Amino acid sequence: MADAVVKINNLVKRYGELIALDHFSLEIKEGEIFGLLGPNGSGKTTTINCLLSLLAFDKGEIEIFGRNMTPTAYDIKKEIGIIMQNVAVFEELTVYENVDYFCGLYITDKEQRKQYVEDAIKFVGLEDFRKFYPKKLSGGLLRRLNIACGIAHKPKLIILDEPTVAVDPQSRNKILEGIQELNKNGATVIYTSHYMEEVEQICTRIAIMDKGKKIAEGTKDELKRMIRNTETVNIEVLGLDDSIRNEISALEHVYDVQYDGEKLTVYCSGGKHNLIRILDVLQKHDTAFGRVYSELPTLNDVFLEITGTALRDKEE
Amino acid sequence: MFFHNFKYEILSTSRVKTFLFWLMVFPMILGTLFKMAFGDVYEKDVLFSSIPTAVVETSENAVFRQVIDSIEEADEPLLKVTYTDEETAKQMLKDGKAKGIIYVGEKLSLSVTEQKISQVVLKSFVEQYGINEKIIRDTAEKDPTKLQAVIEKLSEDVSACNEIPVTSGNTDVYTQYFYNLIAMVGMFGSVTGLHITVQNQANLSALGARKNCSPTPKSTGLFASLLGSYMMQSVCMLLCVTFIHFVLKIDFGKNLPLVYLSAIIGGILGVSIGFLFGSLNRFSIEVKTGITMAVSMLSCFLSGLMMGQIQGVITEHIPILNKINPATVITDSLFCLDMYSDRSHFISKILTMLAISVFCTAAGILVTRRKKYASL
Repeated sequence: MADAVVKINNLVKRYGELIALDHFSLEIKEGEIFGLLGPNGSGKTTTINCLLSLLAFDKGEIEIFGRNMTPTAYDIKKEIGIIMQNVAVFEELTVYENVDYFCGLYITDKEQRKQYVEDAIKFVGLEDFRKFYPKKLSGGLLRRLNIACGIAHKPKLIILDEPTVAVDPQSRNKILEGIQELNKNGATVIYTSHYMEEVEQICTRIAIMDKGKKIAEGTKDELKRMIRNTETVNIEVLGLDDSIRNEISALEHVYDVQYDGEKLTVYCSGGKHNLIRILDVLQKHDTAFGRVYSELPTLNDVFLEITGTALRDKEE
Repeated sequence: MFFHNFKYEILSTSRVKTFLFWLMVFPMILGTLFKMAFGDVYEKDVLFSSIPTAVVETSENAVFRQVIDSIEEADEPLLKVTYTDEETAKQMLKDGKAKGIIYVGEKLSLSVTEQKISQVVLKSFVEQYGINEKIIRDTAEKDPTKLQAVIEKLSEDVSACNEIPVTSGNTDVYTQYFYNLIAMVGMFGSVTGLHITVQNQANLSALGARKNCSPTPKSTGLFASLLGSYMMQSVCMLLCVTFIHFVLKIDFGKNLPLVYLSAIIGGILGVSIGFLFGSLNRFSIEVKTGITMAVSMLSCFLSGLMMGQIQGVITEHIPILNKINPATVITDSLFCLDMYSDRSHFISKILTMLAISVFCTAAGILVTRRKKYASL
């Protein structure tokens, strides 16, 4: 079994009356891409800031690489790469100088640093922008520069706090692929996001947070198994009799049916061939239907079932 | 690690265009405007110029003519004489075209309508001529070539008081405004000092937070940033003084090296004050910027940048303020160089600046050394 790279035990952080982290515990193992998923204000960034010893907390312990994390734990900090939610680069330095500056905070050997800086710039695909100042870069390229500054020193633990906010799809894909590559190269990754698709795509294990609490933890399959829903069937139907709706509701493995006048949504728990059995009912009653599609549960469904609120609704 | 931080501090600060404008370009513009506004005033009002004088000859006096010719040949002639008739002379006096009328007869007599410096000088001249007429007459008759030397020698006795300069510095009162300008550039350094805290404190900027995550000790980063800013500010101060002295031709007498020294320490003082204000924990960055700018400008105002007489008013009512107001201390250190040949006053001002700088820097470091923040 892999060693725990990060251990957070019973962490409590208060801002006056507000409890930002409520007895939050976590264990992240070596080689994982660990996702912290939750809506804005759920405590993800607060957790990261406490983890990095930037933020004072009221209670709890934090260990990284088996050692107690403190502001002066420079030997631990040396092994951590951090990509902040807000882009943290010098406006007055070029792309190359920025990466060199941050790499130089960790690597003192000039030759080694030069190589690392080149590697980082190449890794994020900014080779053609070496002499560009940040204000000349697009949002996506700026995020990539932010990442290059965070990973140039080849850290063992990389923390990415919402690195894809306001990023175009092309840059987002590049970033996500890059994170997976860093992980393949041996880095343990902590990835926070409120984009569940991203977390589903790259994370090997996920903790879902809400209101400063961890509400669920596991692999994406484990999380999905925690909830009742296993399949959601959507069918476009114009004019559906209540009797037909009731007949569908009575089908085995169907636990909820919703109809808004145009779209029939059927929630199933377990079972096979649910879609076929539902369509059979419609055909039996000569009911015309349009587009038909079936969805497997997402992390949003997990969040919805546990908290009663959709993750997306919270973002709005 | 220190030099890595130092190098990039210099590189990044030197590229902040707003700093370059306020610390280099703006003082040059303001200095040029000062020069345009005050440059001629000093030369016209304060420096000595020839006294326009009407001469009415009631009888011929060749010796007097010789004396006048001799005076007018000098590099800076005492008198600018117009020989005329009495009526015209009176009109010239009335119109202000002549400061006085010298009547040349057997004896000289003087007619003036005011009692100002020019008239006093004319009166002394006429009196001295009367006393020394025989000597002058003899010289003119025996060896006219020595006449100018004799007149110059006699002129030394025109005043009962000998002028003994107390300093080798510049006595131009308008130079004070350029000293205020140097102090202002020093105080603008407070913005650089504020910038240091913004870039090093996790609760003020993403960059500060990012730096705090690195294995570089905070003190190393802070000292590197401070030293870098001190150096940048010093360069700005040197440029300012150089521009004022060599381009605007403002004379600092023999004290130029000490003016440079005072300006550099003034710059360090400004950076240190900004660093302290930036370190105040309770305020947002906007409030800190506001406080820093307000204090800097108020300090400059109280030192006389906008109103030369303000320092005198403060000396009369709140003298302690002049002793601790940073801009006043910078200005006074420069002023001391002109006023006192004794350097003790200058040294005292320099020590005051250093003491305030050390206090601000130490207090700022103590506050900034906080390891964790309550909120970010």
